[in-house]
Order: sequence, then structure tokens, then C-alpha cells
Amino acid sequence: MPSRPKSFSRRWRLAPILRFAYLAFFLLFVLVPIYWMFNTSIKPSDDYLAIPPVWFPDAPTLVHYEAALFAYRGLEGLINSLIISLSATVLSALLGTLMAYSLARYNTGGQHLSFWVLSQRFLPPVGIVLPLFLIYRNLGIHDTRFGLILAYTMFTLPVSVWMMFAYFRQMPKSMEEAALVDGWTRWQAFWRVAVPLAAPGIVAAAVFAFIACWTEFFFALVLTSRNAFTLPTVFRAFIGFQGAQYGEAAALAIVSLGPSIVLGVLAQKHLVRGLTLGAVRG
Amino acid sequence: MADVATIIPMQTAGAPPKLSRLGAWTERHFKWVLVAPAVGLILGLSIYPLLFSLVVSFINYDFQVPGHAFVGLRNFKLVVFDPVARWSLVLTAFLSGTSVIIEFVLGLLAALAMVKSFRGRSIVMSILIVPLFISPVIVGQAWTLLLQRPFGPTNYVLSQLLGHEVTISWLTQAPWLYISLIAADVWQWTPFMFVILLAGLTSIPQNLYEAAELDGVSAWLAFRAITLPYLMPMILLALTFRLLDAIRMFDTIFIMTGGGPGTQSYTASYYLYTVGFTQFHLSQATAGSWLFLIFTAIVVTLLVRRLLKPEAV
Repeated sequence: MPSRPKSFSRRWRLAPILRFAYLAFFLLFVLVPIYWMFNTSIKPSDDYLAIPPVWFPDAPTLVHYEAALFAYRGLEGLINSLIISLSATVLSALLGTLMAYSLARYNTGGQHLSFWVLSQRFLPPVGIVLPLFLIYRNLGIHDTRFGLILAYTMFTLPVSVWMMFAYFRQMPKSMEEAALVDGWTRWQAFWRVAVPLAAPGIVAAAVFAFIACWTEFFFALVLTSRNAFTLPTVFRAFIGFQGAQYGEAAALAIVSLGPSIVLGVLAQKHLVRGLTLGAVRG
Repeated sequence: MADVATIIPMQTAGAPPKLSRLGAWTERHFKWVLVAPAVGLILGLSIYPLLFSLVVSFINYDFQVPGHAFVGLRNFKLVVFDPVARWSLVLTAFLSGTSVIIEFVLGLLAALAMVKSFRGRSIVMSILIVPLFISPVIVGQAWTLLLQRPFGPTNYVLSQLLGHEVTISWLTQAPWLYISLIAADVWQWTPFMFVILLAGLTSIPQNLYEAAELDGVSAWLAFRAITLPYLMPMILLALTFRLLDAIRMFDTIFIMTGGGPGTQSYTASYYLYTVGFTQFHLSQATAGSWLFLIFTAIVVTLLVRRLLKPEAV
């Protein structure tokens, strides 16, 4: 075997060092803000202005968590967020699966209908939120959980539909066809055959819908105020106080991180499909 | 498999199902019945509001001026000739463009570093994707904690590294506040690029690289001749998706700078929000939203339709 050119093999040998150095830098970049937030949340307020900064608080405290959850109504926000996100997730997964099945198996509305749904994903929310605010006020559903559930279902639908659309398309039809031949109704073929087979896809779509609702801010900011406010909107209370409430803000952030990160990491197998609306299988 | 088990008992049951009138109707219009709820919801909560806002943008709908008289194009003129609106559009283009380019470069490097497997890769993977599951509000809050003078440790760390005292107001002083906003966006969305590009890289056939290695091709040439062309569709998809989300930038600005100082960190979304909800010029805001919407729609039709051809999946 002929020996390789020198320059080539040297470059190949250098690569691993650069590779791991870069990954180490990247890991640090991702972890430092999260660590600092956690650190701030358990640090006594006296430590905030210390120089050098306190990286490991000597006397960790939970007072900020207590204040964030109760004095700043973080707990109410948490409960609202849970109810609203879960309801919207179920509705979005249900409506999305129904529509996606029709699109995938019956080619309903041709390409136009599926792209019309897709285009909703890319509309700037600000264009919808302003008139929706006026409509909600007229209907009397402004600042209600119901109103935000509807809005979130609509806002997560394009992703649910397209993820399930891609899932049904790569699923063999033969089972459903066999069921139809046996005299089952189309509804039975869908509900008793296709849906159980597509369950993993539906769960994945639901996870991404939940994360989208859980982390959403703009709709909640405009469509709710004192009653149906969600967890992300509680952070408004901490703006502009020049550090006085940093512990509370950090504590609330840590509380809110849990659910979406756990779900997201568990569903990472489906992440590429989720981020590209099913266009890339990953 | 469970599905087989559910079918067999039905087969033996024999008789075709009897349908009620509603059932028969559903069966006949089955495909439309399935799409109806989703389409209805989108019509009610997206299309109707959009049409309503089109009406609002041609009349006077202002919480400070009574009456709903028809005013023609006045609301559109107010936006087009508002220097703040123009500035916000320029800033939106600048912030989103810069962030997306940085995210692309950092994400591509990370994907290249992760494509070959090594011990601990799955743990690294799980950590790198975490920012994707965090609310942008919290990302803004986290970076505020790091940067805000005098509480954040950033200036202290920089002082130590550079050997002289650094006193930068990261959130209230241009150009630093733009760097801060970009940093927060890059932190949250580089993983997006990374994940998609990694999926693209893993799908490139390995034997191409083996052949290149045998031919003594340099790593750089292999990257240019094999990796880039194969990756190009993914790159375009990732850039388009990211750009369309980046131009909506709102949450981090709301938390980190509040649009300030003055109107220096107004993006398009922030401008429209402020006009509508703190100044209550709702018709002017809806007129502006429509202009922004048309602008986005052009980008969507030009780019997304081409990228997401259903048959190409």
C-alpha cells in the first residue's frame, strides 16, 4: 500500500484535539448560563454584589423559591401553565392526527391544503395577536384559560399536522386496507388500526406541542393578564428592578426549566422531525 | 403484534357494521370530516383575525381617538413614514441575519465534531440540545443575570482575563446591547442548526470518505467536494427555518432591554407590540403587522415551498 502524503495524515491527527477542544468550549457555553442561574437562585441576596463573584454559595438558601412561588404568584402561573399546556397539547395532537391522516391517506385538498396549514407556522404571531386580542375582548374570553388553550391549539397545529403527515406517509397502508376489505368503516380503520400503529408518532408530536406551549410568551403576554397568566409571563414582574429580585427570577426560571427539558431530552430521537416539521427523518 | 390481535376478533364477528344516518354521512365525507376541526380552528383563530385586522387597518381603531371612521391608507402611511418603524425593520434584519450566520457556523462546527462517535457522546448530545427546550424569556433572564451591571460576573471575568478593569453596560449601551441580544439568541438556537446539520452529516454515505482517503485527498478538499454538496439541502432548510423564526425576535428583547435605551433595540415585532399595546394605536399597529406579514409571506413562498416538497421527503 502506498504511503499517504505527509500533510494529509498530519491534519487527520490534529483533528481530534481541535474537535474535543471545540466540544468542551461549546459545553461550557451551554452550561454556564444555566449554572449561574441556579447559583443565583440559591444564593443569599447579600452575595449578589460580592467581588469576586460567588460561584459556590457557602450558605445556600431556598428563600427565593418561596418568594417566587408565593409572593410573586409563581405557583398560580405554574398551575395555569400546566392546565393550559396539557389541554392544548391533547387538542392539538387529536386535531393534528385527524387532519394528517386525511391528508396522507386521501390526499385531501391536494398540496394546497397541506401548505396552507404549513404557512400558518411561519406567520409572525404579532399579526394575529393584535386582532385576536380585540376579538377575545368582544367575546369575553380575554384572560381566560379557555381562550389561551384555543390559541395554543391553533398555534401548535401546523407542527402536529406536519409531523403526523410525515409519520402516516411512511406507515404501510396494508393493515388499514385489510380492515376495509373486512367491512370495517373508514373511521374504524383509522381509529382502531392506524392510530394505535401511529402511537409513537403521536406521542412525539404531543411532546413538541407541549414544549411549545410551555415556553410560549407572546400570546400569553397579550391574551392574559391577572387570571390566566402563565409561568413565562410571571417574569414581567422582575423587569426593571435592577437586581433586587434576581434570586426570585432565577428560582422561578429553574422551576420552569424542569418539565420541558426532561420531555425534550427524552424525545430527542424525534427532535429532527420536530424541528423540521417532519421534513427530515433524522 | 397488538394490531393483529385487534383485527382477528373483528373478522370472525362477520356481519358488516350497521351505520346510523350520522355514521353513513361521516363515512361518505370521511376525509373532509377529519380535516374539518383543524381547518375550522385555523379559520376561526387565524384567518378571521387576519381579515378582521385588515378591516381595522383601514379604519380608525384607536383607544385614544373615538369612532371607527374609514381613513383609507392613513394608518399605513403612519407606519411607513415613522422613522422608528424603519429603524426597527433595519435592526430586525441586522439582528436576525447576524445571529443566524453565527449560529450556522457554530452549529456546523459542532455537528462536524459530533458526527463520529466517541465515549460519552450521548451525554454530550443531551446537554447540547437543552437550550431548545427553554423559554426564550428564561434565556433572556439567564443572560441578564450574567451581564447586568453590577450584578453579573461578566465584567469581572473579562477584567481578570484582559488585565484591566472592564465596565461595560451590556444591556443599556450600544453596541454592547446588540452583542448581548445576539449572544442570547446564539445560545438558544445554535443547537437547532447543530441538530439538523448533524442529521444531514450522518446521512452522507461513508464509503465516499473512504474512497477519498485512499486517493490521498486532503480533509479540506473532502469537505468541499463531498460534505458541502451533500449537506446543501439541509443547510438551506436550517437557514430558512431559523431565519423565519429569528425575524420575530421579541421575548429576549422584552426581558433584556425593554426595547431601550429609547427605541434603540426595537425589532419589528417589538415596535408593533409597543404601538398597539402601550400606545394603543391599534389600527396603526395592525396596518404595520400587515406590511410585516406580506414581507414574511414573500419569503415563505419563495423559500419554504421549494424546500418542503412533500414527494421529496
